[in-house]
Amino acid sequence: MLRRNVRLRREYLYRKSLEGKERLRYENKRKIAEALQEGKPIPTELRNVEAELRAEIDLEDDKTAVPRSYIDDEYATATEKDPKILLTTSRDPSAPLVQFVKELKIVFPNAERINRGGQVISEIIESCRSHDFTDVILVHEHRGVPDGMIISHLPFGPTAYFGLLNVVTRHDIKDKKAIGTMSEAYPHLILDNFNTKLGERTANILKHLFPVPKPDTKRILTFANQSDYISFRHHVYEKRGGPKSVELREIGPRFEMRLYQIKLGTMEQTEAQTEWVIRPYMNTTKKRKFIGD
Amino acid sequence: MGRPSEAAGMEALHQLKSTEPPQWLAPSASLSESARAASQHLFASLRPHVRKSPFDELLVDNFDAEQIWQQIDLLTQPLVRSIRRRVKHWEKNPAEIENLLPEVADGGKKVAQGKKMEEIDDDDDDDGGDMDMDDDDDDDDEEMDVDNDGEQDGGKDEGDESEEEEEEKSGGIEDKFLKIKELQEHLEDEEARHYGLDAKNKKSKKKSGSKKLEDEDDDSEEGEEDKEEDDDEDEEVDLFAGGDDEDEEDEMGNARYEDFFGKKKGGSEPKPRFKDELGEDSSSGEEEKEEELSSDDDDDEEEDDDENVNKKPKVLSTHEKEVQKIKSEIEKMEKANLDPKTWTMQGEVTAANRPKNSALEVDLDFEHNVRPVPVITEEVTQSLEEIIKKRIIEGQFDDIKRAPGLPSKAPRELKPVDENKSNKGLAEVYEEEFVQQTDPAAAPLSFSDEQKKEASTLFKKLCLKLDALSHFHFAPKPIIEDMSIQSNVPALAMEEIAPVAVSDAAMLAPEEVFSGKGNVKAEVELTQTERKRRRAKKKRKFKAVETKKMASKKAREDELRKQKEAAGNGEEQ
Repeated sequence: MLRRNVRLRREYLYRKSLEGKERLRYENKRKIAEALQEGKPIPTELRNVEAELRAEIDLEDDKTAVPRSYIDDEYATATEKDPKILLTTSRDPSAPLVQFVKELKIVFPNAERINRGGQVISEIIESCRSHDFTDVILVHEHRGVPDGMIISHLPFGPTAYFGLLNVVTRHDIKDKKAIGTMSEAYPHLILDNFNTKLGERTANILKHLFPVPKPDTKRILTFANQSDYISFRHHVYEKRGGPKSVELREIGPRFEMRLYQIKLGTMEQTEAQTEWVIRPYMNTTKKRKFIGD
Repeated sequence: MGRPSEAAGMEALHQLKSTEPPQWLAPSASLSESARAASQHLFASLRPHVRKSPFDELLVDNFDAEQIWQQIDLLTQPLVRSIRRRVKHWEKNPAEIENLLPEVADGGKKVAQGKKMEEIDDDDDDDGGDMDMDDDDDDDDEEMDVDNDGEQDGGKDEGDESEEEEEEKSGGIEDKFLKIKELQEHLEDEEARHYGLDAKNKKSKKKSGSKKLEDEDDDSEEGEEDKEEDDDEDEEVDLFAGGDDEDEEDEMGNARYEDFFGKKKGGSEPKPRFKDELGEDSSSGEEEKEEELSSDDDDDEEEDDDENVNKKPKVLSTHEKEVQKIKSEIEKMEKANLDPKTWTMQGEVTAANRPKNSALEVDLDFEHNVRPVPVITEEVTQSLEEIIKKRIIEGQFDDIKRAPGLPSKAPRELKPVDENKSNKGLAEVYEEEFVQQTDPAAAPLSFSDEQKKEASTLFKKLCLKLDALSHFHFAPKPIIEDMSIQSNVPALAMEEIAPVAVSDAAMLAPEEVFSGKGNVKAEVELTQTERKRRRAKKKRKFKAVETKKMASKKAREDELRKQKEAAGNGEEQ
């Protein structure tokens, strides 16, 4: 099992390394195809390779035309099965954190919560792999306030580290009647303003935590990015007055997330390569936006 | 000490006069002696002209030069001022000199008057002196005294003294004004007696002008006595009451530059007059205060001295003041530079190098390079909800879509099943199966598929043709029995590359390793009977082998004998 995983990871890394060359070939093929279509002469730098590339163009079909990006290769088969999530906390969680994790369990469909006890992270991940979980989410806290979330995709997938800010849990709102119960239908997702490459990657990681919903569900989960702070909101809507009027009712916890690291291995693989890490002490950090506009 | 004779004094003066300048460079006892004598003589000669002075004669024995000088100063200051004033007055009004002459001619009268004046002056001096004692504003007071003296050219009567006393008693200016009004006529009469109205008016004008100058310059703190003296002067000068209105108007209305600062030709003159006429009150100016300060400084310095001595000029010019200011600032800055810096300026400072809790008091400023955490306000929530509503209305969500999976195994063949009832009975089906098992050749060939039949016929044809090419010879491959060496090596060692620490299981089967039967016992385990049995067995075996050998031997021998006999027989025959 271990060896299989190692092999798969190596394959993935190898294919990723080839990606550059693939991309180049694809670009050249595209140029040649364009030139042929428009009737223009083929650009001179492609004259040597033109013949074989043209042959390849003829043999291409829809799936092979566009080069596969292997960045999200971990999620290549993710859409075939519904995701299965495990939720835990750091060690010795306080009562508010336990409540928050309980809420999160209802937010993510198909999620299981376990007590952390004294387990080591590697143990948890091993058992998850053997039980066919697709994702593990770990929640950290500071004096009762949840302040960190680590989302790890399981076979050997990427791990995203988020910091949580401005957390408002359902338990904070004392009036139970006002807030009502939480719907557990598979939700629709709204991912707003994830425009850069890193944003696309983060969007993918967040998307694949949820299963394919029915088209007519009333439950909406929103991840809205604003200057690198992702706002999480949970609404249920009603279309009462007609097709154009929408009434939103907020349920569920709300928090801001701030991505600070993406690693290319699971949580336990501390030596894994970091895909991206936040640089707060860089001089131009203030000016730059990494996830969206 | 008795008064030295005038002659001795004159002689001393002459001696001093005659000494060469270089001789003054080195101190010599004789010179000092003569100097003292001369100064004593001069002092004595001047003494009568000053009515009241603390010293009747100059005390020179065992006195310091400073002390002698101060004695002289005490005597001469008022005198010098009065003389100066008179001279200036006469400069302006040469006519008065002529008036003076008859007075001089009168001699004693004038002298008496002069003495009176001097008395009054001395009174003023006394007042000034008292003030000096009280306020330590010696110079100013003296100046004021001098002013008073100067302006009392007309001479004061004792009435003035009384008036002064009354004014001293009085408190405010208003009282003084009232007194001025009362006394105006009196003074005018007296002045008219001495000089005549015109002269008096002119003088009053001048005095008013000079008074104003004095007022500007002088300290308001000079004291009531000063004010009193001013008021006295006012009385004399006739500023407010009576007199000629014209004159008054002239006095007050036509205040000109010249009145204050004098004519531009003689611009230098009024300035020294300025200085002399210090000590007046009323309008305060910065100059007043500065002069007071400077005079205060002077006074402080001179506190040690018994007498007042003018060491510094009281008034510093603006440039000098600026220079002083700058100097003090420079001193301050130099001192700051030499001192060790405050901890905030010292670069890297640990807690040990700064006072306790000092970092809390200082306003520390950090530059943060991260964007601040967004505060979730109503507007932010509103904008988010707007976005959500828009998306809902459009129906545009970012869900994942189920991708069609790749086929992992071949699709199962679905054979078309014939739904008709089978023609053959069950017995026939079993019969066919039996035939197939026993005699495959005889069994009728059955194919499930038409295509398969077709394919098989085609293949048979092909095979026939190929066989024909090889002349129907068929040589089967020879079966070579491999001689594989069975080594008694653990099985895992052969299969696996990695050595495994497992028990050594041999490749040979157990019966190949050991061929034996039954219950094998070790020697130790045998019982007595067993041993005996074994021994007997061994013996029997051995015997059997021996008998065999013997038998074979015997047989051979017999044969040999037979052969020999045969051969012998043969030979015999």
